[in-house]
Amino acid sequence: MRCLRAVLAAGVLLLTFSPLLTPVHGDDIADRARKLHFSSIVLDTHDDTTQRFFSKTFDLGKRNPDGHIDIPRMREGGMNAIFLSIWIDGRIMGPPAIQKALDQIDAVHENVRRNSKDMVFCRTADDIRRAHKDGKIAALIGVEGGHMIGNDIRMVRIFGDLGVRYMTLSHFYNDEWADSSTDKPAHNGLTDYGKDIVREMNRQGIMVDISHVSDKTFYDALEVSKAPLIASHSSCRAICNHPRDMTDDMIKALAAKGGVIQINYEKSFIDQAYKDASDKLSGGVVAQFDQLKKLCGDDEECLGKKMNETEKQATAEGKLPHVTWERIIDHIDHVVKLVGPDHVGLGSDFDGATMPEGMDDCTHLPKITEALMRKGYSDGDIRKILGGNILRVMAQNEKVAHELQAQ
Amino acid sequence: MRNLLFLFVLSLGGLLVPSAVSSDTISERANKLHFSSIVVDTHDDTTQRLLDDKFDLGVRHSDGSIDIPRMREGNLSAIFFSIWISSKVTGPEAVQKALEQINAVREQVRKHPKDLVLATTAAEIRKAHAQNKIAALMGVEGGHMINSDLAVLRRFASLGVRYMTLTHSGNNEWADSSTDKPDHNGLTDFGKDVVREMNRLGVMIDISHVSDKSFYDALEVGKAPLFASHSSCRAICDAPRNMTDQMMKDLAAKGGVVQINYHVGFLSQEFRNAEKLDPKINQAIALQVRQRCGGDGNEGCMLIEGDRITREFVAQGKLPRVDYTKIIEHIDHAVKVAGIDHVGLGSDFDGANMPYGMEDASMLPKITEALLQKGYSEGDVRKILGENTLRVMTDVERVSRELNAEK
Repeated sequence: MRCLRAVLAAGVLLLTFSPLLTPVHGDDIADRARKLHFSSIVLDTHDDTTQRFFSKTFDLGKRNPDGHIDIPRMREGGMNAIFLSIWIDGRIMGPPAIQKALDQIDAVHENVRRNSKDMVFCRTADDIRRAHKDGKIAALIGVEGGHMIGNDIRMVRIFGDLGVRYMTLSHFYNDEWADSSTDKPAHNGLTDYGKDIVREMNRQGIMVDISHVSDKTFYDALEVSKAPLIASHSSCRAICNHPRDMTDDMIKALAAKGGVIQINYEKSFIDQAYKDASDKLSGGVVAQFDQLKKLCGDDEECLGKKMNETEKQATAEGKLPHVTWERIIDHIDHVVKLVGPDHVGLGSDFDGATMPEGMDDCTHLPKITEALMRKGYSDGDIRKILGGNILRVMAQNEKVAHELQAQ
Repeated sequence: MRNLLFLFVLSLGGLLVPSAVSSDTISERANKLHFSSIVVDTHDDTTQRLLDDKFDLGVRHSDGSIDIPRMREGNLSAIFFSIWISSKVTGPEAVQKALEQINAVREQVRKHPKDLVLATTAAEIRKAHAQNKIAALMGVEGGHMINSDLAVLRRFASLGVRYMTLTHSGNNEWADSSTDKPDHNGLTDFGKDVVREMNRLGVMIDISHVSDKSFYDALEVGKAPLFASHSSCRAICDAPRNMTDQMMKDLAAKGGVVQINYHVGFLSQEFRNAEKLDPKINQAIALQVRQRCGGDGNEGCMLIEGDRITREFVAQGKLPRVDYTKIIEHIDHAVKVAGIDHVGLGSDFDGANMPYGMEDASMLPKITEALLQKGYSEGDVRKILGENTLRVMTDVERVSRELNAEK
């Protein structure tokens, strides 16, 4: 996500034990939930861990004291499929954006190669199922921001050939052909070139990701795309009124075309009180961010740590309210009530956002399964939310790509 | 004009055959041999033409040297499409332009699935041959296109690039060119790292274009055989782009191969002298090329027109005429110096001035016939036509596997 607070990420907050998870004698739900969780494909469609690959101190294969993702913790949390996000600042454009994106795509491939005992690079839904059978974590790539193609539709094909399986049409800023939800509209949604890019993505089997885009861009993409769309990491605006979240109407329209919304765990996207308080603070935070930017430069690792300290301090001082992980369940449940269990999944924003208390890293994912089970969700529905839905959308995108390429 | 010349050359070619009596049987044998061999050409600049959407590789053209019908006619069974931009273009822009050309080659393969197949290994070339398809491969002609970034090199490799010429006409940040003033005394330390990473990736190290010192540095560092994708013999024509006898011997001692370039300025000392004697000729050619192609840098047009206009100057007697038999002289010289296992074909079609009688790929069977006439065995001819290159590829692939297995 990478907004000001996004970079806060990283740190591990103290656990607050939820009463839901307190083991009760004679309660077999905890056991059933564990069995279900650890036999399911748990696919997270948005993780900013890629930024950490450039740090000399980070090792994906070892347990790290900070951040949210590494192989040991993915194993512990039963997270067996991950979309690693390719992200650079949306103000970097043109050829430098392409090369920087290429560097990150390379970093993902190289990290997978170095950890080939645990991880395998995947391009299709079938690849992910195969990885799961082989006991390996499936690694995939999503490009978070259309600015990284350098306004060159040919790079969509190159990215596709390099294994990119979704592209978010914009990031925080408008790009040359798509409006962002957090910028002033420049194109009234998608330009004609933007629509061509959506068509090309369909042809390449690259999922169209409408997280970050303006509402108008979303509706334009929905109209043009021949395959179901995804929101790789967005939550519900009905619960938390943030432009990065989706309105009920948008969720309905997305679902009507077979798409899926992957719930983002970022505190300011899931909790209205937190969002309001952080908006109030943001003047100070922005000033502080600029100071930190001077201190850290482009060092994402440094920014993450410093911003995390700031966020922690603000929470400790009572300037920001506590948000606990159950808020994630509220958002999942809202979508299910709105459009049924086939159109919602998980898009944590781990290593790129401020996690709610109790979801401090990916080891806590089994809580989601247990909470849904306690809410009365069926095993089948929970599996859909954990990964089945996004696998269906991927397969559908692959089918559309085959059809378009055959034409 | 051009067709008349062709006829003239063809009839002259008949007269040149030394033993007219046995020519029928030799020509029959040559025909059988040529069309049952894998003919590999390691350097073709046709990619520049592919950037023009109107150019169709699938139909026969009256200009240039390469298209599918003429490849079929000349049994050119494996072609390395050159990814080339001027060494004056540097930085991320060079990366983007290289990606655009890689995309253009991949698109041609997608457009002509009955005739072309993308190949990245010797085994894939053999498989393509068995399926009666032309194997399309890619070589990056100039290390400037990775912008000093090994991540870019790795992604080029994953997109199918199978060789990289360390420099083009100008030095880059880490290697000296044969046609520039030395900056680095050969390869820099980073340049040596590039060579090592190419070995690991199984990307062949191409020492055409590089300075003699860069060649020796690469030879020392490289763990797999090197090759010269399109260079001829300096003993016959003293061009810095050609290899000295000693260089060819040293290349051969490490299992490498020199792929003879058909460019008249590299084949014939007489032609080279004439060009040197009157620099106005080249200026006049350049001016006419600009007039015909415009100043917008349409490289495809410039390369094709350059060849055509040079021919007009030859016809006017302003430059000496060079016949295709000069190619055979270079092959024979290289065989005598480096051995039969170390010579192959790197035409430079669509990127250079072709000798009379070798105007396009359809004329390749003449090489086979001329070598048989010279008394070369069928096995030896097959080596020159493609088997030597396939052996180097296989060696490079083996070294890559070994290096990857090390860690």
